[in-house]
Amino acid sequence: MKGKLIVLWGAVSLPLLWGVMKTLQNAMKLFE
Amino acid sequence: MAVHLAIGQAYAFSTFNLPLTKLIGLKASAPGDWDLKQMGWVFSIAIAILGISAAVFGRWVEAAGPRKSMFTAALCFGGGFIVAAIGIHLHQLWILYLGYGVLGGCGLGIGYISPVSTLIKWFPDRPGMATGMAIMGFGGGALIAAPLSVILMAHFKTASSNGVLETFVTMGVIYFMFMMIGVYAIRVPAADWKPAGWTAPAQPRQLVTTANVAVDMAWRTPQFWLLWVVLCMNVTAGIGVLSQASPMIQEIFDGRVSAAAAAGFVGLISLFNMLGRFLWASASDLIGRRNTYMVFFLLGILLYSTVPTLGHLGSIPLFVAAFCVILSMYGGGFATIPAYLRDMFGTYQVGAIHGRLLTAWSAAGVLGPVLVNYIRQYQIDSGVPKEQAYSVTMYIMCGLLLIGFLCNFAMRAVDEKYFHRGSSQA
Repeated sequence: MKGKLIVLWGAVSLPLLWGVMKTLQNAMKLFE
Repeated sequence: MAVHLAIGQAYAFSTFNLPLTKLIGLKASAPGDWDLKQMGWVFSIAIAILGISAAVFGRWVEAAGPRKSMFTAALCFGGGFIVAAIGIHLHQLWILYLGYGVLGGCGLGIGYISPVSTLIKWFPDRPGMATGMAIMGFGGGALIAAPLSVILMAHFKTASSNGVLETFVTMGVIYFMFMMIGVYAIRVPAADWKPAGWTAPAQPRQLVTTANVAVDMAWRTPQFWLLWVVLCMNVTAGIGVLSQASPMIQEIFDGRVSAAAAAGFVGLISLFNMLGRFLWASASDLIGRRNTYMVFFLLGILLYSTVPTLGHLGSIPLFVAAFCVILSMYGGGFATIPAYLRDMFGTYQVGAIHGRLLTAWSAAGVLGPVLVNYIRQYQIDSGVPKEQAYSVTMYIMCGLLLIGFLCNFAMRAVDEKYFHRGSSQA
């Protein structure tokens, strides 16, 4: 049960983290 | 959250606008290519259908349960991409509108409300946090979809295609599979389920009902319409800025903000739109929904009235910070409303009531951008310099927020005559 939860959280949070990183990279241009 | 992360792609549809106008000419628009105005309608139709389908199918979503409705949403949203891809292949605009706009829009509406009442039942102690986390996904969806679309289009680009058709098919399949994670994982709690160690407070908080109101009765109450105006005003103020964020910052700080930096600004406020959904909705569990909206409206009025001054002062960091807070409250408004509805009308059919309330979003989706665009144009036509053309708009936003504040201030508990007397299990 715990393993399944970790896999499910990983499946939704990893793409989100990737998107946040990409957004922050672009946002840095605002202060360059 | 998997469902909301997928359907949140809609906020990033604009990444396809330019490539869709170059399907024939590839490098530049050729005779027979679609134009940007026609592409703008794809998003508008999808958002309008979102509100309508959430209102129309809300009762069915409550009756069918979250798994069936999330599966239907996945079929509609993924299928919408595939039908739209057929429209691109045949270069038939109506098929694109039908696919992404109508079918995809139904997926957006059904998917948006599907998890709401289930989450409220799982987390009776923290309904704001629970729905806030799911609805945060809708804000975060664009952060994934925007770079993903660019990467896929570059990957599929050939000498005879700009890769949009293949990207639509791929995204249709990816999003269908991603939404199936939610379909697989969702469970409805037992009727008597409650978190370990938690007991419902003997004395309910002010404006938190222990009764239930059915959807057909809810929209006859003044509270439903007060909440409709509260959501509409909060969304109008935010969505107008979101739709014009890039040209706005470039025009206010003329020559100091490049197009690339403006794109960074759009990304940053989208990030705060997402974070605000979780943070404000969670805060509403502690300070109450009515107080949370009071903060949105009062702080919003303060910030919108300060923005023209920040523009005149030329302070980019303060200007950006003000809009980050404003957009966090825009997202927070979306995420707090399901818990506010639960407080006013109970858990019975709260998803369906939420669906009907989302028509306020459709109205705001038209009102916000129109207000910002037309007032800006009117100012410029009247000889006002471009960098000052947004000042009046900001003061009008203050007026809208004041209307929202007054409606929220007028909120009282629902009269007993509207209560549902039968079984409360939906």
